[in-house]
Amino acid sequence: MILDVQDLPDGFSLDADICIVGAGPVGISLALTLATGGRRVLLLEGGGPAPEPDSQALYRGQVDAAGLHPSPDHYRERRYGGSSTIWGGRSMPYDSIDFETRPYVPHSGWPIDLAALSPFYGEAVRLCEAGRDAFTIETAFDTPRRPMIEGFDGEHFTTNTLERFSCPTDFGHRYRHKLEAAEGLQVVLHANVTDIRRSETGSEVTGLTVRSLAGRQGQVSAGRVILALGGLETARLLLASRIGERLDAVGRYYMCHIAGTIGSLKFTGPRDSVWNGYDVADDGSYCRRRFALRPEVQRRLGIGNFVARLHHPRIPDPRHRNGILSALYLARPIIPYEYGKRLYGDEAGGLGRWLAHAVNVATDLPATLGFLIHMLRDRRLAERKYPSIVIRSKSNSFSLDFHAEQVPDPDSRVVLTDEVDALGMPRLKADWRYGRADVETVSRSLALLAGDIERSGTGRFDYDPASVESEMTRYGAYGGHHIGTARMGSDPASSVVDADCRVHGIDNLYVAGSAVFPTSSQANPTLTAVAMALRLADHLKGSQP
Amino acid sequence: MTKRILVLGGDGFIGKHMVSALAASGWAMPVAAGRRARAAAPGTERIQLDATDAAALKRALDGVDGVVDCIAGGAMVDVARNLFSSGIDVPVVHLSSMAVYGSAVGLVTEDAPLKADTGPYAQAKAEAEKLAAAYPRAVILRPGCVYGPGSTQWSLRIARLLRARRIGDLGAGGDGCSNLVHVSDVAAAALAGLRLPAAQGRAYNLAMDGAPSWNDYFLDFARALGAVPIVRLSEKRMTLESKLVAAPLKILEILAGKAGLARLIPPPIPPSLVRTWRHEIRLSPARAEAELGIVWRDLAAGLAETAAWINSVAA
Repeated sequence: MILDVQDLPDGFSLDADICIVGAGPVGISLALTLATGGRRVLLLEGGGPAPEPDSQALYRGQVDAAGLHPSPDHYRERRYGGSSTIWGGRSMPYDSIDFETRPYVPHSGWPIDLAALSPFYGEAVRLCEAGRDAFTIETAFDTPRRPMIEGFDGEHFTTNTLERFSCPTDFGHRYRHKLEAAEGLQVVLHANVTDIRRSETGSEVTGLTVRSLAGRQGQVSAGRVILALGGLETARLLLASRIGERLDAVGRYYMCHIAGTIGSLKFTGPRDSVWNGYDVADDGSYCRRRFALRPEVQRRLGIGNFVARLHHPRIPDPRHRNGILSALYLARPIIPYEYGKRLYGDEAGGLGRWLAHAVNVATDLPATLGFLIHMLRDRRLAERKYPSIVIRSKSNSFSLDFHAEQVPDPDSRVVLTDEVDALGMPRLKADWRYGRADVETVSRSLALLAGDIERSGTGRFDYDPASVESEMTRYGAYGGHHIGTARMGSDPASSVVDADCRVHGIDNLYVAGSAVFPTSSQANPTLTAVAMALRLADHLKGSQP
Repeated sequence: MTKRILVLGGDGFIGKHMVSALAASGWAMPVAAGRRARAAAPGTERIQLDATDAAALKRALDGVDGVVDCIAGGAMVDVARNLFSSGIDVPVVHLSSMAVYGSAVGLVTEDAPLKADTGPYAQAKAEAEKLAAAYPRAVILRPGCVYGPGSTQWSLRIARLLRARRIGDLGAGGDGCSNLVHVSDVAAAALAGLRLPAAQGRAYNLAMDGAPSWNDYFLDFARALGAVPIVRLSEKRMTLESKLVAAPLKILEILAGKAGLARLIPPPIPPSLVRTWRHEIRLSPARAEAELGIVWRDLAAGLAETAAWINSVAA
């Protein structure tokens, strides 16, 4: 059943076996899994069924180094379905090495290993609608596929791992009928949790205070409470409820990812010797290969996890002579800011450049029109969306798009400010920081990749090593990946939850989602956040009295 | 001594499988009854019979040791009435349908009420079943969606729709349980029902254990057919199919059918089908397993066999 908090009387009081706070992909996955076997489950969502400026405004906050971190109300959505309503759908599991204690990565090491999580990836991929749990080209396809780069055999990099794409699935929309039908489940919208109340000793959650912007207030009590609010809001609610205050680990070790686009890659073989497009799995999901830094190389050289993808040449430079890219350049005034930022950079325009792009469009008209039709049919109108702009370069020229692990740092953190939102909750400030180790990971990986390409005799990768740091921070912290603010660990001094996702020292409070990840991996977090949620649900089912 | 078993509706999809399964059992001599005059298959007998004619049916029942009632369609209630009021005293396996459960959701056992609230077909099935239930030696089978070689509804039609990419990954619209059962499992259940006195007076769900969702069925079947990759289709598109396209297609199908060209017309997707694919009802297979000893046909093997049949039909 899905209801609105306004349907309840003022001063209402709800009771459940399990209360999940936050109806995003993680909260919905938990609810679908736990609302079985007679359990009474409550799923509270602060936002409404559609975007609402007033709800979204509750996410506003400050950033410390402006330009390095997006405003906290960007890249996340306070509404039913959560940020799955705007995600891009890129899905891949964490690697085995991500869980290890790596002496060269301070504060690394999960209290669980990949094997503890593996059983849950299959269902997680299913819920994310990204095909199936097969993330190498060999396991995902029955028949051999053309190589990503013919003749490339990297000493440091592999090219057989996949990223798979969700539709992208809006969990709220996709699973609404199941949430409505699930017996014992109540989803309550516009139910903002503003306080977690505890027993005198603090070792037990006794209730949650729930408020709506329309003025409704009430109480929830539950045998167990799970916070599934995303990396920023989970920390905010814990801090505002003064949980973990003494040990001061909440909100620390805040990680996003280090990402950027750099350099120029040119392959010497014929056009068909390079495949930068998608392979479509039998189930219809899009799969794409990338360069992945081998784990043994990470260990040997003491650097973090790293992947890179073939990307189209820089759009603003008309020398690519590609009509599609030039058409995108000319479309700049109508492209939304969040997309445009990464497409164009901040270079100035000018009439000469505009004309050069117009010439590119005119001379490459059939390809440009074909691209527009493809984007209309396969992305705009398609239910499963073509995930990105892929240009089959006639000259085999590309740039390189990289996505790297950020090492945990207790000084990279989110904190509460004196400012409060419309519900009286202190607003958040993101003090996101990166360090030398992060620059090292990217710098050394790029150099290794250039070497691998050169040695394979397939082409060249040219980039300016001096520009690495400025390119990886050009757009700041990768938007939407909020990791580590309630990290998992065995030591309460440097972690917030234990291996079962239970908050240290509190018997019945759990955290789900990327907040609990102790390290950030090269992988986008959504799939693993869902897998961790399923593992938590499994644990709670097993430990049910 | 082999038993003579009368198979009503012996020319139909399930009836034909029934006849050959009985013949292969060595236990029975099937007597296939159909409206049209045809030659008997080897090892079987054959009679021409309109079972809605009570007197004719009574004559046909003379000297048989058991009956399998596979009549579907408009005649099913009349035939059931004739059959169960004929004064016979032999075991009768009556093919009902999961449609008798109507709009029920969740795991459904044989003791669930027969709501039959999803249209005239369900009502007729429930009515026929009521007549069967009043006969103490009836074994009632309630199959889910019967697939396999010869299945026009749940195999051939689905294959044509998959190949045309008119169905595929339906998202929430394909989350319902398929309740698939292979036609050979239905025949095995009927045979067991004839042979086991304890089954008389009982009803049995027939749907494989762990039957896939429709989405999963479509993907697995598309793989067997080589009709991959499948496409994701929006709810809007399915609404359009069922609300706007289905009716004209149905009319064309009927017209073309008169000219013997029905297979040229793309299959319609009526609203009832779209509802079926969403319907989250799961038949409990436990009783058929325990009492009739059914071991469900492996889905992958069943689909491979079905795909081979589809290819032979298409050729």
